[in-house]
Amino acid sequence: MKLTRRAMIKDGLLVVSAGMVMPSIFSRGVASAKSLSLDGSRVAQTASDRTLIVVQLAGGNDGLNTVIPYSDPTYLKMRPTLGIPAEKVVQLDTRLGLHPSLSPLKPLWDSGHLAIVEGVGYPNQSLSHFQAMDIWQTLDLNGTGSEGWLGKLVAGLVDQQGHPFKSLDIGVQTAQALQSISAQVPTLSSVKTYNVYPDPADTDGGNARMQALMKLYNTYPRSAPYAALLDTTALAAQDGSRQLHQADATYRPAVTYPKGPFADGLKVLAEAIVQNLGLRVGYVTLGGFDTHANQSATHAALMTTLANGLAAFYQDLAAHGKADNVVVMTWSEFGRRVEENGSLGTDHGTAAPMFILGNPVNRGIFGEPPSLSSLDQNGNLKYTIDFRSVYATVLDRWMGASSKDVLGADYGSQNFLPKP
Amino acid sequence: MDLNDQPTTPQESIDPAHSGPAAGPPPVSSGAPTVPLAPSPANGTVKTTGQPSSRRTFMGKSLKSIAAVGGIGVVAAAGGIALEQWIQHGGLNNLASGPMASEQQIGHLLRKAGFGATAAEMDTYRKLGFSGAVDRLLNYMQVSDDAMESRLNALNLNLNNPNDQQRWWLLRMAWTQRPLLEKMTLFWHGVLTSSFRKVGGKAAYMRMIIQNQFLRQHAFDTYDNILLGITSDPAMLFYLDLTKSTKNQPNENYARELMELFTLGLGHYTQRDVYEGAAALTGWHVRGLTSRYNPRDHNDLTKVYLGHTGNLDYKDVINILVNNPATPWFIARKLFTFFVYENPSTDDLKPLVDTYVQSGHNMGAVMKTLLNSPQFSSAKAYRSRIKSPIEFTVGAYRALGITGDGNGLPTITTLMGQTLFDPPNVAGWPGDKVSALWLNSGTWMTRLNYIDLLLARGTIARTGSTPLVDLQGIINANKIDSPESFVDYFASFLLDGNLDSDRRQVLLDYFTTSDIGRGGQIMLTSGKSYPLNRVRGTLYLMMTSPEYQLN
Repeated sequence: MKLTRRAMIKDGLLVVSAGMVMPSIFSRGVASAKSLSLDGSRVAQTASDRTLIVVQLAGGNDGLNTVIPYSDPTYLKMRPTLGIPAEKVVQLDTRLGLHPSLSPLKPLWDSGHLAIVEGVGYPNQSLSHFQAMDIWQTLDLNGTGSEGWLGKLVAGLVDQQGHPFKSLDIGVQTAQALQSISAQVPTLSSVKTYNVYPDPADTDGGNARMQALMKLYNTYPRSAPYAALLDTTALAAQDGSRQLHQADATYRPAVTYPKGPFADGLKVLAEAIVQNLGLRVGYVTLGGFDTHANQSATHAALMTTLANGLAAFYQDLAAHGKADNVVVMTWSEFGRRVEENGSLGTDHGTAAPMFILGNPVNRGIFGEPPSLSSLDQNGNLKYTIDFRSVYATVLDRWMGASSKDVLGADYGSQNFLPKP
Repeated sequence: MDLNDQPTTPQESIDPAHSGPAAGPPPVSSGAPTVPLAPSPANGTVKTTGQPSSRRTFMGKSLKSIAAVGGIGVVAAAGGIALEQWIQHGGLNNLASGPMASEQQIGHLLRKAGFGATAAEMDTYRKLGFSGAVDRLLNYMQVSDDAMESRLNALNLNLNNPNDQQRWWLLRMAWTQRPLLEKMTLFWHGVLTSSFRKVGGKAAYMRMIIQNQFLRQHAFDTYDNILLGITSDPAMLFYLDLTKSTKNQPNENYARELMELFTLGLGHYTQRDVYEGAAALTGWHVRGLTSRYNPRDHNDLTKVYLGHTGNLDYKDVINILVNNPATPWFIARKLFTFFVYENPSTDDLKPLVDTYVQSGHNMGAVMKTLLNSPQFSSAKAYRSRIKSPIEFTVGAYRALGITGDGNGLPTITTLMGQTLFDPPNVAGWPGDKVSALWLNSGTWMTRLNYIDLLLARGTIARTGSTPLVDLQGIINANKIDSPESFVDYFASFLLDGNLDSDRRQVLLDYFTTSDIGRGGQIMLTSGKSYPLNRVRGTLYLMMTSPEYQLN
């Protein structure tokens, strides 16, 4: 089965290359795939690889209460009950500071491993969760795209290296950012459940039954609806679960992760990195940011979950000697209205900051925090940095990909990562 | 958050027209619009007037008008589908011929408009013919569901507990004799959705069941009544913050999603309509397990909303929305995608839109048109979607006639990607729109493990407990005397009797391979015995096969 799969992927790659569908998206990937085939060592290849972890904050995170313009008097005027006073803010410089519950991230700032990109948005921002999420993930500003920007990247990677763990999505549904027409992204909620249980009465550990099942999948008519999806899903599941369980047997986290699905997910991603499963793109989502009412306690709890999870993840990687190989990027579909509403909450807004975290980053505030007094017609912030230039920076300067090929145009770059 | 989380504005006056019983769903709102609005498209039949009658009366009215619309007979199927594809998929041929419907026709119907069927149910519905079967599904109140109700009551589930709530509904779906009613309720739960995570805290979880009962009781009502009811539904009031909205400080949340996700869709309204709609919708607040409309907390300034001007209130908002030309297309697309296939064309949707307008927005009439449409019975619709986690989980439970207590089922559907009463967000489950999203390596393995649990384990974690399916009993009762008759019996209701001969052979080979399994033997009625793991392994293969993942 294993050999068959490898052969299939190789064939797939040849077809893709010949058809020029994905010419040079991933130069580094091609290079390492070549060196891999020369020395045959997966570990040697993945040890030099760079991983991107994308953290989605779903629901529209309140950027103004995340990275707080505490010295601007307009801030507290617009947020009479929700505003966080200067003395409680984790101050980063004379203008900006973090939400108090983000204090676990302060040591990363102090040691130079945290960058903040301010005022991130795009022209004519949508106030619809779903259109905005589509735009951030597919880059189609009409919100009607289907292939995700990371999916495009990952599809090339899988084809070129034939490794089922090139990307890993934590959850029960593959994120739209990772959707692609040609690659299946392993998606799981925990290592324990990522496994096929045998019939306890089988004496062969379920092999015969699984072989018969794979025959039903391999021979399912290609022309039937979902045939390719079903077949690749079944293959990916088998390969992936075996590798993950092998890795799991020897992985020991170096820190105690906080409880909850977000930190659990980060732990699985750390495991894939530490155990050299060849992870290049990891994805995890933290939801619940749509704080239209009674925002304070909800948002503080989410900030705590985010900061404690990311801090534990970083420490685990550092203890395993992997912190130089990993960059974390957070995003949310929009920030929230500058002025708080009458329900102790905030309505849908626009521009917001993104965090970029990891040893490779240049510490600092990049981009300009939007003015709180020059707002758009809906009372929302005017963006100062296009999110696509943030993606481009990560692709060009960290992943060794061509951002122009992945994103479809040249969006420039920011300096939160050094030029390669 | 507190169960009696109340707005800060005191409520001195309670509108008597809206005072309902102390518990149970809020009454469907009544009363004519307060300002003249555009007339409704067909003969002005937006029936929001009249006494605050009971829900059952409303149902009665709705169902009569279903009968009145009808008239779109069963049409021979293959329109627009290439003959080759039609044959390849086995088709739902001979739709209009012969009184007895085929296994494929009825299997298809009961999967799409329900949750699959047992062998006995297949017989019952086949004898009715296709359109008779559709009528039985739509006229569900003529079918008693008392047996299910008493089985559910006997379980003494705690309906304020989210896990028990899920078991309660999953078992309803598995055991009901009114499958379309439950399927339609599931459809509405994915559209007019709320989550127990934001309905007012632990003491208020019951609000989810109240909402669920509302959606069930009004599943085939007019869209006017459905939207009026959901606007004043306690769970929805809390979930989308309308209960926090006040006269002077309207909250935008419900006003936006009502247009974006329940009626018009993006592009048919502006941010101004969100502001003005929010002001018009003020006045409703949660009170315990019910809700109250307080006219004194209604913003009575003049609003300009979607081209209408006046001192608009929630009834006007709903009336404007159900009569907006974008609404029938929006809701027809959702229905068609959920029940038939994805990416419907304008031609596919037009008959549903016409029925919506002609029937005075009656969803039962729209569903009758949908189920009797040639598209519904087309080859393109056959196995056109990946089964949702609920469809898969309930479907297997139902088809195998399992009478367990549903313990563990909520965890399983969650691992597959769907938790009842806990959608990922206000847009419901993305898989309802694009069913391929239900399937990935993790959820696929959970599907396999669930079937293994039903057939071989009893529980997902432990080995050695009693499986939920008594295979020897089924074999004896149905006089299954050979591997062939075993496969054919289960294929008849699990796979619509539609199993390619090569693939049938894979199953027979597995069944008949000699094996020293640890599970003992199963004896067919011919007297010949086979290893238990091979027998139940064959059934496992059928229920984990590609075909069985599809709806």
